[in-house]
Order: sequence, then C-alpha cells, then structure tokens
Amino acid sequence: MAHRWGMVIDLDRCTGCEACVVACRAENNIATVGEEQAGLSRAKHWIRVERYYEGEFPDVKVKFQPVLCQQCDAAPCETVCPTFASYHTGEGLNGQIYNRCIGTRYCANACPYEVRFFNFFNPVWDKPLHLQLNPDVSVRTVGVMEKCTFCVQRIKAGEIQAEAEKRELKDGEIRPACVQSCPPEAMVFGDLNDAESRASRLANSRRRTKLLAELGTRPKVTYLQRDSWHGDENA
Amino acid sequence: MQRRDFLKISAVAGATAALEGCGNPDHQLIRFVPEEDLIPGIATWKPSICTLCPAGCGLLVRVMQGEAEVVREGRLGLLKMGLAKKLEGNPAHPINQGKLCPRGQAGLQVTYHPDRIQGPLARVGPRGSGQFREMTWESATRQLASQLADLQESGQEGSLALITSPLRGQKRAILDAFANHFKKSLPVELAFFDDSTIRAANLASFGHALPLTLDLGQSNYVVSFGADFLGTWNSPVAQAIGFGRMRTGRPGERAKFVQFEQRISQTGASADEWIPVQPGTEGAVALGLAHVMLAENLRPAAGAGHAGLLLEGWSEGLPDYAPEKIAAQTGVKAETIVRIAREAAAHDPAVAILGGAAAAHTNGLVGALAANALNALLGSVGKPGGILFPPLLAAKESGISLEILASQINSRAAAAKVLLVYNADPVFSAPAAWGVRAALDKIPFIASFSSFLDETTMLADLILPDHSPLESWLDDAPPSGSARTIRSVAPPAMHPLHNTRSMPDVLLDLAHQLGGDLASTLPWKTYDEAIEASFAALYKEKGTKIAKDADEFWQKAQDQGGWWSTEPESVPASPAGAPSGVVKPRAPEFAGDPNDYPFHFLPFASQLLYDGSLAHLPWMQEAPDPLSTVMWGTWVEVNPRTARKLSLQPGDLVEVTSPHGKLEAPALVNPGIAPDVIAMPVGQGHQNFTRYASGRGANPISILSPLTVEGTQSLAWAATRVKLSVVGRGKLILFGGSLTEVSPELEHR
Repeated sequence: MAHRWGMVIDLDRCTGCEACVVACRAENNIATVGEEQAGLSRAKHWIRVERYYEGEFPDVKVKFQPVLCQQCDAAPCETVCPTFASYHTGEGLNGQIYNRCIGTRYCANACPYEVRFFNFFNPVWDKPLHLQLNPDVSVRTVGVMEKCTFCVQRIKAGEIQAEAEKRELKDGEIRPACVQSCPPEAMVFGDLNDAESRASRLANSRRRTKLLAELGTRPKVTYLQRDSWHGDENA
Repeated sequence: MQRRDFLKISAVAGATAALEGCGNPDHQLIRFVPEEDLIPGIATWKPSICTLCPAGCGLLVRVMQGEAEVVREGRLGLLKMGLAKKLEGNPAHPINQGKLCPRGQAGLQVTYHPDRIQGPLARVGPRGSGQFREMTWESATRQLASQLADLQESGQEGSLALITSPLRGQKRAILDAFANHFKKSLPVELAFFDDSTIRAANLASFGHALPLTLDLGQSNYVVSFGADFLGTWNSPVAQAIGFGRMRTGRPGERAKFVQFEQRISQTGASADEWIPVQPGTEGAVALGLAHVMLAENLRPAAGAGHAGLLLEGWSEGLPDYAPEKIAAQTGVKAETIVRIAREAAAHDPAVAILGGAAAAHTNGLVGALAANALNALLGSVGKPGGILFPPLLAAKESGISLEILASQINSRAAAAKVLLVYNADPVFSAPAAWGVRAALDKIPFIASFSSFLDETTMLADLILPDHSPLESWLDDAPPSGSARTIRSVAPPAMHPLHNTRSMPDVLLDLAHQLGGDLASTLPWKTYDEAIEASFAALYKEKGTKIAKDADEFWQKAQDQGGWWSTEPESVPASPAGAPSGVVKPRAPEFAGDPNDYPFHFLPFASQLLYDGSLAHLPWMQEAPDPLSTVMWGTWVEVNPRTARKLSLQPGDLVEVTSPHGKLEAPALVNPGIAPDVIAMPVGQGHQNFTRYASGRGANPISILSPLTVEGTQSLAWAATRVKLSVVGRGKLILFGGSLTEVSPELEHR
C-alpha cells in the first residue's frame, strides 16, 4: 500500500519557540526578503507559529499554533490551478511543480490556511550565504508559488535508503526538518495508512481537531488541543 | 529575467539533472521534474557544539561537497570543499538529545555571513572611524606580542585587561592562564543575561556554585518565578524536552505549571495558570508558599535544612509572609497563594524555578535563596523531578565585573594599557551609565578577536578574527541541562572559509613568542593539543572501562561529540549544620521616583536575537517573534488600558525615558502585560553589527540604571523605572499582516 503522509501537532507540548520555523527555512532554501519586502507582506514562512491572546489582564491566556500546509485530501489549491502545477502526489501530498507554475496565484487565493507564498522577485543570498543552500531542494525563481512539501526530499531519501537496504520504512525514520528540531517533541510525522504508526495513533486522540475542518478540505495535519490540568483527579 | 533567457535556461535544466543554487539568480535553474522524483545528494554528519548561548547543546552538522569562492595566498579561486548545510541536534548528546532551538539552527549563518572579517586588520583612521588595513597573521601577532612584551618589561603586567563571554573547558583554561600570568586575576566575564546570581544563591543554599539543572520530565508540579525556561533561560532545549514529557509524555499524568511574572513571556504562554506579580516580590511569594506549607504542617520546617535556616524567620514559620500580609505587596491574592501551596505540596515531585527578571532586581539574590528554600522544603533537591547538580569538573570562579573594570579605568584607580576582547561586545551590552565607552577610550591598545565589526570591535586597534565555531576545534563542559557529567569536544566540521585563526591558537602562539613562565604553563602548541591533554586526564579518571587506551578514548569522544557519563551523577546538597548568618529578605529598590517615572521597565531576552549577539543573522531578523510576530525591528509593549490613558495607538512611536537615558521605539499594545510595566526585547539597537543589524531599532540596555543585585556584582537589569510619551508614528513589521489588520486582535477589543 502506498504511504499516506500525515502529521500530528500536540498543542499541549508546543512552546511557540520557532525552532520549526527556522529549521524549515534552513532545510528548504527559503530566502529572506529583507525589511522592506517583509513590510509588504512578502516574507515567506512555510511554517509559522500563530498565537492567540484571550481575555484581559490579569486573566489572559496565550495559545500557540504552528500552521503549515495541511496537505489536504480535498485541496482547494489543486483544483484551481490552470496548469496542473498544484497537484496531488501518489503519496497524498499537495505537490507544487515549480516550472509548470505560471504565477496566477489562484492557489494562494483558494487556500484557506494562507500557507502558499509567491515569489515577487528572484531570491537573493548575499554571498557567501548561498553556500548554505541545500542541494536537494530547488531554488524558486520569480513568478512561482512555493509551499511546504513535508520535506519531500527527506521522504524520498528515506524511501530510497529503505529500498537499497531491501527493507520496509520504519515508523519515525522520516522526519521533516520541523519535526526533527522541535524541542518539546510536539510534532509527529508518519504514515497514516499504517494504523500502528505513532502519527495514526495520536491522530485518534480525544484531543484531535482539524484546522477549519468545516471547510471540508480533509487536512492530513491533526492538531491535539491544549489540555488543562486535571487537578486532584490524579492526586 | 527575459523570456528568452528563461527558455534557454530551462533547456539547460532539462539536460542537467541535479542543480545547485547559487548567488546569481540568473544561474538558478528551474527543474522540470516534480520534487518527489528527485534524487538526494550524499551527506556526511559531523558532531559540533553550539556556542551561541551558554547551554552548550551538541550539534550534528550536515556536510556536503560544494564549491566555495575563497582567497588563498592572496588569490581568489573556486575551492571544492565540504560545506556545512544544516545543523541538527546531536541525538547522542545528553543535553539536547537531537533537538535544537531556532537560534542554534541559525548558527550556520555565522560561518557564511557576508560581513565576516576575513583576515587580520589594523586600524588606520581615527579610533571608531572603521578604517582598517589588511595585514598578515605574522605581523598581527608580532604586534600584539610586542605590546604584551612591553607590559612585561616595564613591570606593568597588571595593566592587561581581558573581557570575554563566560567560557568553559580548555578555551577557558588557556585564557585564564594568560590573564593570571599578566594580571594575577581572572578575565572579566560579560553576558548580559548572566547566571551569577543563581550560582551565588545555589552556593549559599546547597554548596554548589552552579546553575539549576531541572528534570521537568519527571516533575508533577512546576512553579516558575519569571524564568523563561522554555525560551532563553538556562538550558532551554533540555528544559523544553522535559516540558513535552511533563505535558503528555506520561499517560494519565499531566503536571501543572504555574508562572508568576509581569508580562506573559513565551514560557508564560504555556502555563496552566499565569499569575501577575509585582516586580521584585517573586521571592516574597515563594516565602508565602513556604509559610502556608509550614503553617498547615504540609512539610516540616527542618526538612529544608541549611537552605531554609539561611532565611530570617524560617524556624518561626516565616510569620511575616502570611498570605494576607503579602497580598498587597505582591499583588497576589491570599487565597491564590494558599491554593498553590496546597497543590504543590500534594503533587510530588514539585519544583520551584526562579530566574530572569525575578533574579535581576536589587533583592534578586534573596529571591533566589527563597526559591531554593522552597525547593528544599518541598524535598525536591537532588531528587528526580526536582533540581539537580551534576558534579562540577572544575571550580568556576569569576573575575571582577565590567562595571568595576570601567569605573577603575575611568577613575584612574587602575590603568589598562592593553585590552583583549573575545566573544563579547561590552559597548553594546552595558548600560551607558557604566561609562564603558569612556573607559575604552582611555585604553591605548585594544585587540579584538571578533568575526564582525560590532560596536566594540569598531574601536579596536588590531582585529584578529576567530574562526567560526563550525570551522574550529571546540570543547565545553556545560554545568546544567543534564545531571550527567559532560565533556563535549568537536573537531572542525569544515575548513575555514577565510584567513582566520582560532582564538586559543593565537593565544598559545603569543605565549610561545613571549616565552618564560607563560610558555611553560601553556605547553601546548595548539588548542586541539590542549583538548587532547584534558581528555587524556579524563580517560584516567572516567574512561578506562570504555576504551583500551587514551588514544581510543580520544577518538571515540571526537566521533560522538564528547564524553558523558551513562547515568545521572547528581551530587547532593553539601552544606551541613547551621549557616553562619541569616539573610533578611528585603523589598526591591528601583531607580527613578515613581512620580516622575511611573512605569517599571522590563527588558527581556529576545527568543530570536537573544541578548543582541544574534542580531546580525538574517534568519533571526526575519523570523517572527513568537508573541508579537515582529520582524526586522524592535518594539515597546504597553498594556491596553495604559495605551488608552496615554491616547496611544498601536504603532505610535514612543519615547521611553529613564533616569539614565532615553530611546524611541514603536509601541505594541499587549493584553498580557501589567498596566504599570513597559517591556522591551533586548537585541536590536546596534550601531555597528553588519548590514543586517546596524542602525536598526533601539537598545534597552543603554538606558538602564546602574543598580546591582545586592550581594553580587550583577546588574539589576529589571530595577529601572521609566516614563513614556508619544512622539509620532513608528514603523513595525508584523508577519501577521499590516499593523492595522493585526492590532484589533492584539488589543483584543
């Protein structure tokens, strides 16, 4: 059976530290755009940490929620693309073929999660910052959309390695950059077609939710809601 | 790009499969193949050590072959070399266990920074003009050696000054030997968010001059006073790993986490209960909790031992700290204190943590002693889920503070003829009131080992740029984050890009040029020889069971990223008997009359820029701050009620004035801050620190009043009061969108 990659993010563990954000930028050759362009909302973060304040001082709460491409099974971005640049891969990812993309930006308009980013200009790395670029990930040029790939280059590397060693992939063997760095281990990645994978089991937690589930996008990212202290129940 | 060029390049792309990105966008080719059809390259993984904060996390560096434009022997050329591509946590390392924080991830950009100083420089223009000329290493070290030889010959050895970041391991030993030879003293250690107050408190309470090592993965109840332990404080990655386990790592058990502070920090955001407390009264709350436990016989007073007896009134049950007596002073309701005390006492193991701003008041040391006493009373010292102390490999002593050095120089009580600065920016990291800039102007010769032209290096007469950490041998002995004994070591992960030299190697070279006693106390030719010697000693002590000889032990340590004990080796609290004197808890003092300066000023460590030493990294500048989503800038946080009172709109430019200076920054309205507190992240406000940080924002450190934490030499950086006025419109870039779109949510109307 083909793999069906998914992720579970435990908001009870997430500390909002942004390790995922920087790890993603490093892994996926996401260029910084500088102050001026960032001020025009052109900064690119394939994963971001959203934060929500609730209540008024002194009864204030803050909640963090990392948001990345939800890799929807019914992805609004795919159906609107006139050139099939946004497409569904055999393993269920919302792929983006950069050189098919003609920059209509329909996909970004259709995506309710605002996780697609347009290249308004060619990316620039002040030399020698370009030496850091990951050769496994293509650099996107002006006029194309880019987005989280679940680190497809890491998925591919893991699959090739397993095949070379003539064995099955192990659960947890493939980790996107965000998952690998996350200090409180809030993020778990795995095969949703494997009912025994950690991701599959966690996705059945009583705390499970999907982001904007009511839109019917059928995301493959599951959020586990922040829990509260159960007090003397376990005293 | 022209359409014709695009087609031409696309055609080339079809012919070549794997492509490498590079600086010129016209050379970046577009792939015809979907991502999932790509074939990844082959990488090797090399251990290294993160040096960007004191936690000392272990790294694994992904190294792949690439071509770098480098200058070798004066000629520019393309060199095929191993290049660091990605930093991950070292899964074998006991502190960070394969995990890494955002700052550590960005360590790569130190190595590849476009504004790195590429070789030795000598000042040519007036001091501070930034005019330097290139020189060879031979003449650079000869120049410094002759300066030092002059000091020796004229009997003025004492007029060498050294300022460094807090160092450990053999790097520290080499620098100490140097300082000791000349000055018969230790280098001045400088870190804005230093842990010396906590170490002083732990020495008094428990006999260990160490920071805290937490074991949150096994804690059942956590009370934190101002410690940003999931963000920037102490050993944040180790603590975040423990936090994750504490939350959902143990089926059926979920600890409670209570945070007391004035502004919801990134850590406070994860609390189950967040309780505002008046600045500087965190220790009083800790004693209030202890009072309840004693009064209700939840714990015996004697159980706290020495740590309790240190505090006045402990044996009598802390009568002055009855919850109703401290409610007004602390701003915490009596019933809340009673409830938290009962909950903590009922949920073993419970742990109290005090740090950050709570330890940076004039009474911060007493506050830390109070939290220590609370831990001792709870029975959490040296216990799983409590606070632990790994065995210390070498006693850590400190020299005088920068404040004292500056005042000695300014008052001519001491003459400094030569200053060496390593991994520290004293001009940026000190309040203007300390007079550091004036003191540096009085020093005839300043040599800096910095890789970047920061505020201090701009004043240098000689710059001897260090390798980047990934290009260097590294060793470390982190004192917290794990109860295991740890000695980290790492060979260079890649060859140096530029004409740089490792600071310890330069010092060893100087020692040999100077000869005499110094050369005999430092027998090694290079830093790695010094590290190897320390591992040979460690082998005799610890390694005989795991390696057949010292060479094998040394090799294994390099392969793994260090040596660490297989089991926790936490040592018990050591002071016995009654303490020699008791400490009287006291109220905090603040600089500035409340009538003139109505607000407490709370600087806080930036999750991304830390203490400002990472402001030069574009990844850190463009990563949105977790709570404000601000990028590329700084801001001043104001409570919504205070904003209304001042008719302040989000994004307004405000002037913040303290008794010792003023600054301007845009305001951000934050519902998670007390109405009488103004908060500001440390990090921006560099005059000189590369193209990415220079001239950006304002530096809150500069306006702080020079109060110290009583009983220590540390700056009481949370003890300044300020006033606020609106002076115009400011510019603030939020990832959440434009300011107007975001402000209603931020203001929560």
